[in-house]
Amino acid sequence: MTLLAHAIAASPPATLSHEGLRGRPLAWSEAGDLGLWSTEWAPDIKLERPDALEHHRLIERICAAQPCLPVRFGTAFATSDDARASLDKRAAALRAALARVAGKSELALTLLWRELPGPVPIESAAGPGRQYMEARRAEFAGREARRARAESLVDRVIVELAIDRQLVWHETCTSDNVAVSLAVLVPTERAAERKAELEQIAAGFPDVIPVLNGPWPPYTFARTE
Amino acid sequence: MKELTAEDASLLELVDRLLNKGVVLAGEATISVAGIDLIYLGLNVVLAAVETIDKAQERRAS
Repeated sequence: MTLLAHAIAASPPATLSHEGLRGRPLAWSEAGDLGLWSTEWAPDIKLERPDALEHHRLIERICAAQPCLPVRFGTAFATSDDARASLDKRAAALRAALARVAGKSELALTLLWRELPGPVPIESAAGPGRQYMEARRAEFAGREARRARAESLVDRVIVELAIDRQLVWHETCTSDNVAVSLAVLVPTERAAERKAELEQIAAGFPDVIPVLNGPWPPYTFARTE
Repeated sequence: MKELTAEDASLLELVDRLLNKGVVLAGEATISVAGIDLIYLGLNVVLAAVETIDKAQERRAS
């Protein structure tokens, strides 16, 4: 038997149904004042995409019952002792992370460019070498302009939401479609209100399509490294 | 180039979090991941995450 990890929480464990992934037993491995929620798994069973989404729903259930740190999907331990040893090794950092996210949820804002970059017009009279260099230069300038615009959108979100930068994580221009991928850590009881504020702020950006998700468990803010 | 819909973006953001965020513990068992099922629309970050998992599993298995 293997343990497929879902979330770390402080002991004592909350009272939860004993159903883990695919209806298999949910287990609690306690290490001092911390513990790990996991599903009793068999190493020969392949994880599929629905399992990732069920892992997410399980974490939501655990987080609703007690403050928890989501564990990256696919993490597994051969035995409960191995799981406990892994918690023991990083207990102080895990406690600090747990305190940081307790009572908080994550909102996710993705800003998609309304228009994708088109072909760059190049002077046709130029030779092939020059045309190539001009195209490269125009592409680079276009990329830089988009990145600068994306960063300015992030700044506006932070200012207008009036939130501490430490509670915001973001990346810009991760693909041709995505201008901004941003996560905000907010108090769970104010998540709906903050989500509405974010929606209103993002609706004021003419060149991007906002996609708002959450509240989710605090995946982005659970890191300990 | 495929245009990303709002639904695609939502799913990708969630899958990205499941595969790339959260606490990293040193797991010591081998779990099989059907990587291709986790690849959705080929967003680089998700592809990279699946590759990372596959490589980690291969290392543990060897």
